[in-house]
Amino acid sequence: MTSANARWVAPRPAAAGTTWLYSLLPLLAAIALAAALHFGLQPAIGPFRTNVLMNIGINVILAVSLNIVNGFTGQFSIGHAGFMAVGGYTAAAITYYTSFRVWGDALMHGGVLSGVPANGWLTAGDALFVGSCLAGGLLAAVAGYLVGLPSLRLRGDYLAIVTLGFGEIVRVLLQQSDSDIPYLAADVQRMSVWQMARHLGGALGFSGVPFYTTPFWVWLFAAVTLLVAFRVKRSSYGRAFLSIREDETAAEAMGVALTRFKVRAFVLAAFFAGIAGGLFAHEIGTALNPRELGFMKSFDIVIMVVLGGMGSISGAALAAAILTILPEVLRSPPHVWPLGLVAIVFVLMVRRKAGRRAALTLAAVTVALEAVRAAALWQGVNLADYRMVLYALSLVVMMIVRPKGLFGVREIWDYRPLGRRRAATVAVG
Amino acid sequence: MTKLLQTLVDSIAVGSLYGLIALGYTMVYGILQFINFAHSDVFMVGAWLSFLVAVRIGGQTATVEPSVAKALLVLLTAMVCCGALGFTIERLAYRPLRQAPRLNVLITAIGVSLFIENLGQLKWLFGAMPQPMPRLLPDRPLFALAGVNVNLLDVIVVGTAAVLMLLLNWIVFGTKLGRGMRAVSYSPPTAALMGVPVSRIISFTFVIGSCAAAAAGFLYATKYITLQQPAHETWIRLGLKAFVAAVVGGIGNIRGAMLGGLLIGLIEFFGAAYLSPNLRDVYVFAVLILVLLFRPAGILGRATVEKV
Amino acid sequence: MMEPLLDIRGLSISFGGLKAVADFDLQLGPRDLQGLIGPNGAGKTTVFNLLTGIYRPQAGSVRLAGRVLTGLRPHQVAAAGIARTFQASRLFGNLSVLDNVRIGCHLRTRHGLPGTILRTPQQVGEERAILARSVHLLSTFGLQDRRDELACNLPYGDRRRLEMARALATDPQVLLLDEPAAGMNPPEKLALRELIRGLRERFDVTILLIEHDMGVVMDICERITVLDYGVTIAVGTPAEVQRDPRVIEAYLGGDTVTK
Repeated sequence: MTSANARWVAPRPAAAGTTWLYSLLPLLAAIALAAALHFGLQPAIGPFRTNVLMNIGINVILAVSLNIVNGFTGQFSIGHAGFMAVGGYTAAAITYYTSFRVWGDALMHGGVLSGVPANGWLTAGDALFVGSCLAGGLLAAVAGYLVGLPSLRLRGDYLAIVTLGFGEIVRVLLQQSDSDIPYLAADVQRMSVWQMARHLGGALGFSGVPFYTTPFWVWLFAAVTLLVAFRVKRSSYGRAFLSIREDETAAEAMGVALTRFKVRAFVLAAFFAGIAGGLFAHEIGTALNPRELGFMKSFDIVIMVVLGGMGSISGAALAAAILTILPEVLRSPPHVWPLGLVAIVFVLMVRRKAGRRAALTLAAVTVALEAVRAAALWQGVNLADYRMVLYALSLVVMMIVRPKGLFGVREIWDYRPLGRRRAATVAVG
Repeated sequence: MTKLLQTLVDSIAVGSLYGLIALGYTMVYGILQFINFAHSDVFMVGAWLSFLVAVRIGGQTATVEPSVAKALLVLLTAMVCCGALGFTIERLAYRPLRQAPRLNVLITAIGVSLFIENLGQLKWLFGAMPQPMPRLLPDRPLFALAGVNVNLLDVIVVGTAAVLMLLLNWIVFGTKLGRGMRAVSYSPPTAALMGVPVSRIISFTFVIGSCAAAAAGFLYATKYITLQQPAHETWIRLGLKAFVAAVVGGIGNIRGAMLGGLLIGLIEFFGAAYLSPNLRDVYVFAVLILVLLFRPAGILGRATVEKV
Repeated sequence: MMEPLLDIRGLSISFGGLKAVADFDLQLGPRDLQGLIGPNGAGKTTVFNLLTGIYRPQAGSVRLAGRVLTGLRPHQVAAAGIARTFQASRLFGNLSVLDNVRIGCHLRTRHGLPGTILRTPQQVGEERAILARSVHLLSTFGLQDRRDELACNLPYGDRRRLEMARALATDPQVLLLDEPAAGMNPPEKLALRELIRGLRERFDVTILLIEHDMGVVMDICERITVLDYGVTIAVGTPAEVQRDPRVIEAYLGGDTVTK
């Protein structure tokens, strides 16, 4: 810094071989986690719970990716299901029609990881599936770019309405696609790509997509999403997102190009939502139809993000898991006191003084829930009928009692037991 | 020519309903700056209450002798009940969040919306089946204009909507209460300093908006007869279009909501009649996005600049 | 003065018929320390907003080392080398003190999203450099012990200093300070004078500051420009400005000027 024009530029050290190892190590961990869930957990829990396991993973991808827009950047998107739909339909169409072209049918041609050990380890089918999911993500990212552009001019609620409108337009357009999906190889051979893109099943939905999605693929993508989100959050790049959330004017004065970063947040989030859509499209037991991917789905994802705490990645993931399991659990409500006890102990350990009031609240909630359960059993009321009512009610109560979500802007591990709270992320590297 | 006039009549009838619902969105937004997603459910409850009361006082089927007195009774019951509902929602769900971030209030609104829908689905309330609305009002072709029948019912719908809008316009611009509402919408703290009872004004805004939505629900039920089950997406979608109307007209602006409602009705029906009937929702949302891009404050709204 | 570093000529803007700033001229040489004063509503902050691209001037030009900045967006102005603090503290409240400063460093990094996602050696290296520089900046401003606290939990004086640290993190050639002493107690103000004087040498930066505390302004500024109703009514050394009858009149009797 000798002359007036010399600027400080972050110096780069010579590349070190081990740094690349650190860069790729988490990816290996992701594969290990996905494999563990797939080969370890899946056989133990049976097909129904396996589906719940996959749904959790897909919702984790959706919530964590939306968190990049809503939580990091402070923008307000309620059209995430629209990106999911773009990705899901793209992936479904590519897999379905390519399968016909290559194998003459739309059966599943995957290997071990797609659930067919007889076919060997990695097959062309697996490659097609992963490729179509990535393609779905890319097209969704393009859509994200187009939706992100209006954020040039719009703030807050207005942006929210535009994203909502985008989601609705996607839904209606998909509903208007041709419902007549060909199921004969000869018919597919005759179709042009343009015709394929028009035959997406209409309001009835796209049926016949081969079931490639397994816990392995879901959790591999979920782990990658989590990894990307964490790396972005704890980086110079991610702090630019966060600064926009905190104060747009100040961020711009610090040299953060608002529009560029907002659009990038949208693109990144849409990419992963598109992948989640691809996984959803190839999952057994789901219906890829436009109604499933309407604004109610978008709301579900927003609720996960807000419940977890805006900007908290682990919070969003945990909320996604809870909210996926909750409706299932409410079908036959179990005792809640063990969970209540755990929560109370956690709160007391993390925040000794302020924790007392929270613990009392939790105790009251636990007792009330147990009372409801007992009363329902006694009166012979089927609580399953009330599950959506209870879900909605708990959402409202949650917003009033703990408006910052479960974890605020922090991550779960920023709450240290029996100690002072740490500020949000400070670690580097 | 016939088609044109017919479309015009239809779009004005529906547009005035949108306008009535949009009033509730726009008033709440004007004062609290948040999208009251539960408003479409108040509209739904209004329609369903009309059905319940109509069945109770008039027998089960569509053979009820049409009577204006009965119709008025149904309308008033629905309005009063929905007014109370709006009051309760604001008191229990929104008031504790007055200082909270807007996203939280929005989530709460979605929660309230889900709650009302699913409560309505229960057997002992509205049930989970579509129902036919009994005929309460006479309907016959009133006069023919260039080959287009203008039905009495359409006239009643538009007429009632117009009367209610004028009433509301008078309340907001011609009474002390309305002056309070406008003061709060500019700045709640300043209004409070000037002696305006802010909380009471906000409650009142919810009550009025809910009454208007209930009236719209009644008119909708009388015009379209079939009531979808409470959690059906038709209700939310109608509500969304009404909200779009509020935004297009300039959110926070009461006359804008009325104008926006008519405009959305026109766009939807003319698009459906002359372009493609399947894409009516696309037209509405496309117009929304265009308006937001080129005139973010809406047709009658005024742009605000943030102070640094 | 030789070739000025920051050359402002004829800068004007009016809001709905009200001339907020009219024909504003100012030249700053390298390592100058100048003041901009005037009664409330005189247009001082508007000048800053014009310089940093928040408002677009209706007439006039801004040049930094010969390069025209007029018409650039705020982030481009920051990249060109003008940083500012805000009158009402605009820190990133929910982020740590350290992160506030690190955001300022973002401007001078060269890796993008792929580098961030892959965590390439280059990215890791740049992050380390950012951390080192940010820690250094924090200790310059005496904030090293508070680095992990949330910015919104800081006491007022610390916030003002953090704003300055954050602005300097962008490595500016010109630093605009908007009432840095506001809300500080007398000992803090005394320390602030030394701090601001020291910044020029330590960071090789030219400073323009708005300040209401005449003790601070008259003590540290070499030249002062006085604004009233958007019009420049006096320019000169502190002593000259204090004697200027128009300035005294603008301040209604002038007791505040002569402290």
